[in-house]
This record gives sequence, C-alpha cells and structure tokens, in this order.
Amino acid sequence: MVALARKTLIYEWRRFLPAMLAVGFAGLLQLLQIALVLGIFGSTSLYITGSSADVWVGYPGTQSVGSGRTISADVESHVLMDPAVQRVEPYIWVDGDWRGAGETGGVSVFVSGIDPSANGLMFSKALPAGLRARLAEPDAVVVDRSVLDQLGVTIGQTATINGHPVRVVGISSGLRALGGVNVLCSLDTARRLNDDPADSGPTYLVAKLRDSSQANAVAARLRGDTAFGPYTTWSAKDFARRSVLYWLFDTGAGAGVLFLAGIVFLVGAVITSQTLIAAVNGSVREYATLNALGVGVAALRRVVLEQAFWVGALGLLGASALGIVLMMLARSQDVPVVLNVPAALACIILVMGLAAVSGLAAMRSLRRADPATLLR
Amino acid sequence: MTHPAAATEPVRTPALLAENICKAFVSGQQRTQVLDGLTLSIEAGELTLISGPSGCGKSTLLAILSGLQKVDSGRVQALGSELGQLDLRALERFRLQHTGFVFQGFNLFPALSAFEQVELPLNHMGLSRNEARRRAQQSLEEVGLAHRMRLRPSELSGGEKQRVAIARALAKEPELLFADEPTSALDAANGQMIIDILHRIAHTHGTTVLCVSHDPRLVVHADRVLAMEDGRILSDRHTHAPLVDNKENKS
Repeated sequence: MVALARKTLIYEWRRFLPAMLAVGFAGLLQLLQIALVLGIFGSTSLYITGSSADVWVGYPGTQSVGSGRTISADVESHVLMDPAVQRVEPYIWVDGDWRGAGETGGVSVFVSGIDPSANGLMFSKALPAGLRARLAEPDAVVVDRSVLDQLGVTIGQTATINGHPVRVVGISSGLRALGGVNVLCSLDTARRLNDDPADSGPTYLVAKLRDSSQANAVAARLRGDTAFGPYTTWSAKDFARRSVLYWLFDTGAGAGVLFLAGIVFLVGAVITSQTLIAAVNGSVREYATLNALGVGVAALRRVVLEQAFWVGALGLLGASALGIVLMMLARSQDVPVVLNVPAALACIILVMGLAAVSGLAAMRSLRRADPATLLR
Repeated sequence: MTHPAAATEPVRTPALLAENICKAFVSGQQRTQVLDGLTLSIEAGELTLISGPSGCGKSTLLAILSGLQKVDSGRVQALGSELGQLDLRALERFRLQHTGFVFQGFNLFPALSAFEQVELPLNHMGLSRNEARRRAQQSLEEVGLAHRMRLRPSELSGGEKQRVAIARALAKEPELLFADEPTSALDAANGQMIIDILHRIAHTHGTTVLCVSHDPRLVVHADRVLAMEDGRILSDRHTHAPLVDNKENKS
C-alpha cells in the first residue's frame, strides 16, 4: 500500500508544521497547567499523602486538612479498641503568626504538631528521620527550604509563633503549603503555641492499620459513635481527595483549569483544522482524480484522518519532550509540578481528540473533491 | 452508420450507449441546457474523439458517459450497466473496476514518485502487492518512463507527467478510458507522443478510448470523430476501421 498520508506529510512538512506546532503547544500548555495545578493543589493533601496513616479521625464536615476543629482526646482510646488498628497518634494543627528575625512582617504559618518518635506516622514520608528526632527538643521547628527568605530565618535562628519563641533546627524539602507556610514541630511544642485555651484536644487522630487495604471498612466502622463528642472518620485516600477537590473547586481554580483547557482545545483545533483543510484543498484535484479512478470517498477520508493522527502524534511527541525539560527545570527551581498517569492520559486524550476533531473538520472539505469538476 | 468490418463480426453491444440524454445546469435564475436529447453509441476498442468549441457540452457528455455525473433525463449504459440505477458507492465500484481517466491537468500527488502514483489506485482494487507493482512497472514501461519511475512530479516534464497520468489509468487495465483535453497543456512533440500512446492503447489493449479535445492533431488518429455544438452532435465520421486493427479481433 502506498502510504499517501505519511509521504505527503513528510514531503510537504512545511505545510503541516503549523498544525503540529498548534497541537504541540496545546498539549504542552495543558500538560504544564495540569502539572502545576496538581503540584500546587497536591500540596494541600501533603499532610495526608506525606504520612503513613491509613485512617483519619477529625471534626465532622471538615472540608480540607487546614480547616479542622479539635475533637475530644478520648476518641483515641475508642479508636485503639478496634482490633484492626495498630497505632494511633494525635495531630495538632495550629494557625500561627510568625515573626522572624529578619524584616518580614508577620507571616501566616500552619503549625503541624506531630509525634516526633521514630515510628511516628505524620510526615513519615516527607520528613527525614534525623530531622524528626530533633523535633523532640522543646520549641524546635522544621521548615521547608523554599520559605527561608519568606520567614526571614536560617537554620539555628529563633523566631516567634503567636508570641512564643521557636528555634529552627532543620530545613527540609517538599513541605510547601498553599496559602501559608508549613512549620513542623512536636505535639508538646504545638500545644504551647496554641493561644486558645478552649482548644485542648487534637485536631486529628491518625491511625495505622495492620492491613492498609481495610482503610475504608475500618473508617466506616469507627464512624457514627457520638459518646465522645462529634467526630468522623475518613480513609486517608478519601480525605486527601476531599482536600484537593475542596481547593480545586471551592477556590474556583478547578473551573479555571477547565476553562483554560476548553480555550486551549478550541484554539488548537481551529489552527489545526485550518491547516489540515488547507492541505486537503491543496490536493483536492489529486483526491478528485483518485475518486474518478474509483477510489472511494471513505478511503480518501481515511487518508485525511491518518494525516490528522500523525499531526497529533508528532505534536504530542514534541510536547512531551519539551514538557519533560520544562518539568525538570521547574523541579530544580522548587516549583511544585506533579504529573501522574491519569493527568498524562488526559493530556494525550485532549491532544489526540483535538487532532481527531480537526481531521473530521478537514474531511468535510473533501466534498469539494468532486471528479466532475475536473472536466471543464 | 456501418463500417466494412461490421458485416463479418457478430452483433456487438456498444461499450457506451446514451439514449436521449438531457442535462441542464442552473446558476441563480439562469438555466443552461447543456445536452438536449442526445443519443450516441460508442463501440468497444475504438478511439473516439469528441471535438467542438468550448461550452458545446463535450466535457459534460464525457462526465455523464463515465459515470461522474447524472443525467436529468434519458438513459446511459456503460458495459451493459445502467449507470442511472447505480448509487454513489456502486458508481465508485464501477469506475474502480472498469474505467481510467486522463485529465488536462495531470493531477499527480507531489509527494509520490511516478511509480507510486501508478501503484496507488491499484492498491484499492484488491490486487496483491506484487501484482500491483508488476502492473505499475509494466504501464510505466509502456508509456516509455521505465527510467524515470522513481522521480517525483517536480522532477518530470509536462509530457512525462501526462504519461504518468496515462500509466496510472492504464495500469488498472480498464475497458473504458476517458481523456479530457489530454494534450492541451503540452507542446507539439509531447502532445504527439500522448496521442500515439492513446491510439496504441485503443488498438493493442482493445480499450474503448473516449477523448474530448479540440486539438486538430488528434483527428487523424481517431477511429471516429464526433463534432459537437450546442449540446448536439453535428457530424459523426469514421476515419478508418478499428476492428481490423484490433488485435483481439484478428484471427
């Protein structure tokens, strides 16, 4: 079979270049947008995904990790009574006002009071063991490398949170927060930093199960008992999703992403379809001749669709190569970018969908390939 | 009209038959009657030339006889098939199996070599890869382009391009070959070469060649010349007896 679509694409590559660039940039824009959104909003569930807890216990109706309320400390023993539970520890969230040594003014910080013991669950995946041990020192805090300038401190310096002195004992990475700065300290330090005397219990209780796959069942089982005051439970996965979705949709960012995806699709499809239509029009007499010779319209349509496919595939290839370079650049500059399989698939589907829609649009101009018009 | 050889041959169904065909084009309020009750039959294995001034309806007649256009009224029979009763798909299939076309513009794909131009339609005929290549090779040799078949259209002269276009039609081994002004874009020498090839195709392959042209050089090579004007045939003249020349009918 003579590969008409591919040979034309190679021979007349200049003609198809705008389409490939349009597809490529549409893909790249989409890829980087999704990676940024996932990176930025993924940090809102860092507390969950960076920890090894399977079940979270918190105040009913909590919409994201940062908006928890205290629950009764007595819930801990209730949770521990469940035979599936291996370990439970409290997690205290305190909103704080940071005053550093430098001239930074007040900085809003999210204080995470965690169990500093070696087998502690909170931030077990995000915090190196050495740094975790140092949190046991009174008033010790760990902050992310990227926020040192913002906080106006370096390692070893002191500052205050809510008027209480703290000392930076370590610097970690991958602890960036959205809308504030994460500060990690021990449970004892966190309790001291809390100025609200009514807030006595933990914000959350996090539990490790003997069998992680039971998280949903155990969460459901522990829910609904009101003997210890109001609380509810989530599997870690559910709570992480809940946090990310809250930020995505209740902040309007998700709508923004979808809106931009729509625009990118539309602009890409317009440019690509116009280029493909021009390519079809440029060969319309040849297509008409083939049709005169009996080559069916369906076969001619396949040629156009195949061209659209190759334009999409080549655009995607370019977008992937450039995307990987840009993502690596972003990572090296501590810009939070994350790409997972569903997001990458979404990009591929968007780009190939764009190419397909453009191909279908271009196919319509094959109607001009009427062989009768060749006879004048 | 009969010719000497017809008397000794059994009665043959004409390759193409048009009965009382009418065709009009409407543009805006203007209605132009291009063909008006035209009747015509064309014998197999002849090179028939339709000539006439531009606008006389000769190209429309070619489009109708080749199944590219429908008539308003009347009937058209090609190789025994009623073209009016075939739908679009069936017409495409009919053209794929039985017809070849040569147009004034050569209409070659810029990206394909001469060999690929010829091979491409054969791919769609259900031929094996080897058979398609054998036929492509053979037709290009027949039009004298054996040494040029790896070249793209941009590397070929006008005459060579038209010979590729003829090879493309010829490789299908069609019973009917339609040519529309095949020489008008060519100089004298190249035009003559195309005429010779068309003549040879009719006489060695037994192909019915219907050619529309106002090129006077073609007249001497045609077996039959139809002169058209205002949608009617003015004169119908046989120049020599094609069936005697026809290899297939020699015994």
